[in-house]
Amino acid sequence: MIEDDIYRTSSQYRLWSYTEASLQSLRATTNAVASERVRAALRRARETQPSAASSAAGTPQPGSDVDGKSNEEKPIECLTPEEELVLVRYYCEKTLELGETYKPPLPTMVRATAIQYLRRFYLTNSPMTYHPKSIMACALFLATKTDNYYMSLRQFAEGIPGDTTTEDVITPEFLLMQGLRFTFDVRHPFRGLEGGIMELQAIAHGQGQAAPHLPHETSEDLQQGLMSIAPPPVPSSSMSDRIARAHGTTRELLKTAAQMTDVYFLYTPSQIWLSAFLIADRPLAEFLLDVKLGGPVTPATATSETTQNGLQNPLYEIRCKLHRVLTDCTAFLQSYTPLSSDPAQMKSLKRIAKKLYHCQNPEKANMAAQKRESAQPSTGVPSESGMANSESESERLAKKRKLEKEQKSRESNDVFGPELVTQRTKQQ
Amino acid sequence: MASKDGISRRDDDEVCPVCKSSRYLNPDMRFLINPECYHKMCESCVDRIFSGGPSNCPVAGCRKTLRKNKFRKQTFEDIGVEREVDIRRRVMQILNRREEEFDSKRAFDDFLEQREEIIMNLVTRIDVAKTESQLQKYAAENMQSIRTNQALEVEEAHSFQARMTLEQEEAKLRRQAARQEYETERRELQAGREDFLSRLASGSSTDAAAIAREGHKVLLKKSSARRSEEERIRQKQAALRGTEGKRGASGLSSVENGSAPDTGLVKGLRKIKTPEPEKPYDPFMGYVPDKRDYYSLQSYYPSTYLDPIRQDMRMQAGGYDLGEYYSRTLLEAFAGLSCFVGEEISQRDASKPVATEGAAIAATGDEEL
Repeated sequence: MIEDDIYRTSSQYRLWSYTEASLQSLRATTNAVASERVRAALRRARETQPSAASSAAGTPQPGSDVDGKSNEEKPIECLTPEEELVLVRYYCEKTLELGETYKPPLPTMVRATAIQYLRRFYLTNSPMTYHPKSIMACALFLATKTDNYYMSLRQFAEGIPGDTTTEDVITPEFLLMQGLRFTFDVRHPFRGLEGGIMELQAIAHGQGQAAPHLPHETSEDLQQGLMSIAPPPVPSSSMSDRIARAHGTTRELLKTAAQMTDVYFLYTPSQIWLSAFLIADRPLAEFLLDVKLGGPVTPATATSETTQNGLQNPLYEIRCKLHRVLTDCTAFLQSYTPLSSDPAQMKSLKRIAKKLYHCQNPEKANMAAQKRESAQPSTGVPSESGMANSESESERLAKKRKLEKEQKSRESNDVFGPELVTQRTKQQ
Repeated sequence: MASKDGISRRDDDEVCPVCKSSRYLNPDMRFLINPECYHKMCESCVDRIFSGGPSNCPVAGCRKTLRKNKFRKQTFEDIGVEREVDIRRRVMQILNRREEEFDSKRAFDDFLEQREEIIMNLVTRIDVAKTESQLQKYAAENMQSIRTNQALEVEEAHSFQARMTLEQEEAKLRRQAARQEYETERRELQAGREDFLSRLASGSSTDAAAIAREGHKVLLKKSSARRSEEERIRQKQAALRGTEGKRGASGLSSVENGSAPDTGLVKGLRKIKTPEPEKPYDPFMGYVPDKRDYYSLQSYYPSTYLDPIRQDMRMQAGGYDLGEYYSRTLLEAFAGLSCFVGEEISQRDASKPVATEGAAIAATGDEEL
């Protein structure tokens, strides 16, 4: 199939398609690596804490509110992959809401792209390392750019509730792009749905054309076939009306359920919209599939009459396989319930959020400060406070950082921890 | 020389067989022949009989039609030889295959033998009609290769001529130089000897040995001059070898451009691989741009919210094409419909099992950046 080969060239297929097993193992690996780092970072933070507290310097450390005496013994509890997933899903829903707050609201496509960016980013990064709250706004802003919906950064930052600055939005952008492997193309099922609806409407108006593989059907045949399908669950006045209603339902499903589940990683856009369409109006969707690939498939024929039907229809095998895939995808879509509507899920979410507060990687917490620090020595751009002054300042800072780095590496090697004496002299 | 003498001796009593006028009466008389029948006649007879167009041979018993423009002077005294040379030239012009065109030396030799046979057949008038028809057929079939080989021959002859003249020129120069050298050498030797003698005469007896040694040096100088001569000869030989190699190379190239099929007459020709004729350029490599497997694009789809666009001038003016929208949405509707990600990705991962894991580690590892 030519269209399939066209899809196979997309980065979504090449880089962002997984099997369920590989998706799971990837998430587990990411979680394991991130947990390891978080534990190491927190341990380092605690070791430096007693002395660092007096100087009141450094970044705020989420782990520092735990009582100092007991935290050496207490093991650090990290998020599990499932908890991470719930968290990411929550922030995906938040992204939808955030898009709604703008006047006018951001297009569905932009929001969906942002959500997919978030999901892709958190395949290889953990919420423990980078908090989704900071990434979310950035993903949405990046999506406005990649989906050609222009919005200035200032305008965008003002639209976010709370006191989010432009810098907060833009800081993780490069990190996010790196996590996306610089592939910004997301193939959505929305436009595909429009195409399918267009085909159905054409058939309903008696203007449909047969698929190239089944050329014997005329547009009258198709129209009659469409008229004779099973009636919808909700009766409608005309066939176009029925199609329009199914269209609306499918669109809603694609906006929410398709975004909040893993279907983008597991299925192709056309499979996703057809699955959603199956949920919305099963007879209509089955009819469209029959027109395109021929031969009605019932569970009975799928197993017993394969050979007989296979002779009649060369696409029969594909049709059967597609039937299975669509059923799986439908199950995925139907499994979705909005988090906010379910109190039990909200409760568990609160618990996860609290847990995350304790296992957030302190070294990555202040991204803006980190970015500034890493940018300064490389570019050598002086900060706003005077040329001569800033230069000496930056030199001093660089020296300090270097010393700290050396010390850190020494500490991690030393079994008995850091040297207390040198530490004190350095503080003075 | 002998034949020339013979002709001149017989000149006086030679008589034209047509008009019976003899050289004795007409010392400027010249005899011409025509390769049709090789009958000899004088120039005035040719003018008289054939000026008005083709006519029959005036010699009794010969009914051949001759044309004036074919008459020429006789080269050989013996008419038989003259005829054979003519035939040979004609056949050689047609059967002008070159050695490079044959598979093996043996095949080429066979070809040469065959050619001799044909020539002898024509000369001795055995199977003339059959041989002629063979030759004609061959000439018609191999027009191209005959022409290229002729061109090659002409070219070779030209280059050979040029080389010969160049060599002659060089030889002349060399001879002059050698003579000059010899002269100067002789003069020097003379002068040296005189000098030697005069010094011997003037000097004391103790210097005699030293003076004699100096005399040897002059001889040494002479031998070094001879060595440079040898050097020059060696260079010339090397140059000759180089041209031989070049000729071989040019022969090979001639094989490539002479495209002739193996005919019935000449056997053992090297098979010439003519390159496949290039197919018309297909920029999409067999892919038909608008061919689709799931749908056939229509020019119009009924839609309540797209229909107004068709009438809206403001939309159309900017160049917005609804057809583009149709093709894009329909392509996206079915692109990847039977891409079964689950199967295909697991197959892909099986072929390179570390891909996703590696990517995961790489992506988490970039936190260090």
